[in-house]
Amino acid sequence: MPLLDKLDEEKCVKTVWGKLIPEKEAYQYATRQIASFCANLFQVMRILEPDFEKRTSAICEISYMMNMAASSDEYMAGFHDEWNIPEFCEKSSWLGGIFGDSGDEYENMAGRVIQFTRDRVEKELDTCPWDIVGAELCNMTTAMFTANFDLCSASGENEVALNMCEARGCGDCHCRVVAERRDVYGQEKQGWMDHMNQPAMPVHDTPKERRVREGQVMRNGCYSQAFGEEKSMTWAYRWCMEKGWVWCVAFPLIAIRDMAESEEEFERIFKIVFSTAGKNAFIEPFAVEGLRSWLGVPREIGDNDPRLMGGYIKNILDTQLVPNELEAFTQEEVRIRVDTETFNGRFPMAPVEELTLGYETLWHNMVKTMVSTEWSCWFEGKDEDEMQIVVGRRIDKRMI
Amino acid sequence: MLFKEDQAARAQHQAVRENAGWYLWTHDLVEVTGEDAAGFLDYLFVNHIKKAPVGRSKYTTMLDEQGRIIDDTIVMHMEEGKYWVSTLYAPQLIAWMDKHRGERRAAYRDITQEIRMFAVQGPNSLKLVDKLLEDSAGDLKRFQVKKDRAGHLEVWVHRSGFTGELGYELYCRTEDQEALRGQIAQAASEMGAPELTILEVYVRSLPMEKGFALRQDMYGLTPYACGLDWSVDLEKDFVGREALAQAAGQEPEYRLVGLEFQAESYEDIAQKEIVYCRGVPCGFVRAAIYGYTVEKNIGFAVLKNRRAQPGTQVTVGSNHSPAIVVEKSWL
Repeated sequence: MPLLDKLDEEKCVKTVWGKLIPEKEAYQYATRQIASFCANLFQVMRILEPDFEKRTSAICEISYMMNMAASSDEYMAGFHDEWNIPEFCEKSSWLGGIFGDSGDEYENMAGRVIQFTRDRVEKELDTCPWDIVGAELCNMTTAMFTANFDLCSASGENEVALNMCEARGCGDCHCRVVAERRDVYGQEKQGWMDHMNQPAMPVHDTPKERRVREGQVMRNGCYSQAFGEEKSMTWAYRWCMEKGWVWCVAFPLIAIRDMAESEEEFERIFKIVFSTAGKNAFIEPFAVEGLRSWLGVPREIGDNDPRLMGGYIKNILDTQLVPNELEAFTQEEVRIRVDTETFNGRFPMAPVEELTLGYETLWHNMVKTMVSTEWSCWFEGKDEDEMQIVVGRRIDKRMI
Repeated sequence: MLFKEDQAARAQHQAVRENAGWYLWTHDLVEVTGEDAAGFLDYLFVNHIKKAPVGRSKYTTMLDEQGRIIDDTIVMHMEEGKYWVSTLYAPQLIAWMDKHRGERRAAYRDITQEIRMFAVQGPNSLKLVDKLLEDSAGDLKRFQVKKDRAGHLEVWVHRSGFTGELGYELYCRTEDQEALRGQIAQAASEMGAPELTILEVYVRSLPMEKGFALRQDMYGLTPYACGLDWSVDLEKDFVGREALAQAAGQEPEYRLVGLEFQAESYEDIAQKEIVYCRGVPCGFVRAAIYGYTVEKNIGFAVLKNRRAQPGTQVTVGSNHSPAIVVEKSWL
């Protein structure tokens, strides 16, 4: 047998130091990063609105409205065709169930459709990268499902009782959403805060040994739904990096901004939360060691070198599929050039300018513990077409 | 997913095996007409469509130029020069027809929105449909179709189905759907024959036990790799014939097989779950389901030919769920 002409190729993200992070690992990491941004944002919300029910209702309301607005009939019809849903499958609310299932899998929420009948749908998740965010987000997803179900219903209003009777964000080992036709199971129409109840019929609890740790795209390289249509790992990764920001950051942000008395108040609290998160990210010395290993940082890059932070930021951008270019990468300064619109508008229809504010604050504080307090991180040219993310020295007598 | 303990699914499944059951079963439908309709269809499909007289239907696969399955359909000869092609992929079929029609005098259009179809399946299905029809369907042989009336409604009765039981498919105009549904429901209730409401019972559990696969299970394989040698007529010209003729007589690289899962349930097994033989990937799952007649978790998989022998022990997915390769028909 002749020798190989070349090695097999796999997609990877290459760190500044040449370490290769496989596509699957990069996707997993980036997904968790979005969830972490969302978790910080929800802390802002909790400061602005101390009442759990009020803040949860507010984000439910806005997410419902935005989902309704974003998903036109045409959009859903396109989905119906794209997924080749057969004519014998009624175009009723259940299309929302199929839609939701695909979204879960693109975001590495690993689980299964337990039941899919005309009268009842049960979806169970074993994992969810967003489980760190908290119970408000779990509630909010039920509002988004409600919108999906309303959109797909012939009457424009869904016919189901929708309950997330278990949620990992609430500490359960599964997430479980059950939709049951109200006329069949004798249930009432629900308000925003009524969606975490138990369903009418018993649930099917997957035993521990049959649970999965990753979604289909991670396990099998593609998502394949019941009617045989498939989306590749690469497709799902991009989908997640675009739309993953929309539902958990862009939509709730609208409601959260409204909770503040003024723009200044919102920004003040937002920055405090993201500063704290940044400063705490590398407070443990072994966290820095872990980062060095993850990025393959050589020993000649010392403990007080801005390139450590620069390499980290570049890796975040690369794994989030944001095009960027190194302009400077020295012991004195790191500069990374990014397109401003792309940075804020991962999904162009729903740009999130708070990404700039959030990451600038997060990274400025992160560098203090990851490298040293001599270093700062700031963005230049935020109002221009291109901006530069800078890690450099800065002295400020009112530094925070 | 279907589970052993699901009594509702079990009842619907067993109704079809022991009595009768009915359900909306509308597929996409493409009507093909014209002087060259038969010749055109003969060129598109592996089975000999031309040989089917009016009132007969044929199951057939459709291949790409490499001899790989891209669709499986039922072609019904409705009238002289008029055929209905039942598929789940009408837009793709139409695009394929556009590509291959050439100078043939054949017209085709997607009539999916004009026609609805109900399946009545089970050993007592003839009794059930005869309660509705003006003329008995008793004279229909398998894969025969005729026009009839159900009360004042015009219907087409096709003796066929996807359950492996005696069965009939009743086609009607879309505007008559609810009226026909009412008639079937009434007649069925008199016989204790339920409407099937659990999709996976009639799409997967019932058909799989009898070895019936969906197009998606066979996609990309040759008919030979799927055990459909009987449907191939190499004596005529059709798209993919040359490649298929080369494949004939050779062992396929992959084969569609049956799997029996040894664990109590299969929650960790999705479509495309990877199958391992002695820890090495050797293919992927196409479907998994519980069969209420055979009382087993069963499935289809596409495996490398050398791992496709019945009796081969494999594992499936990230939990190494044990399974055994079997023939892809259980009843």
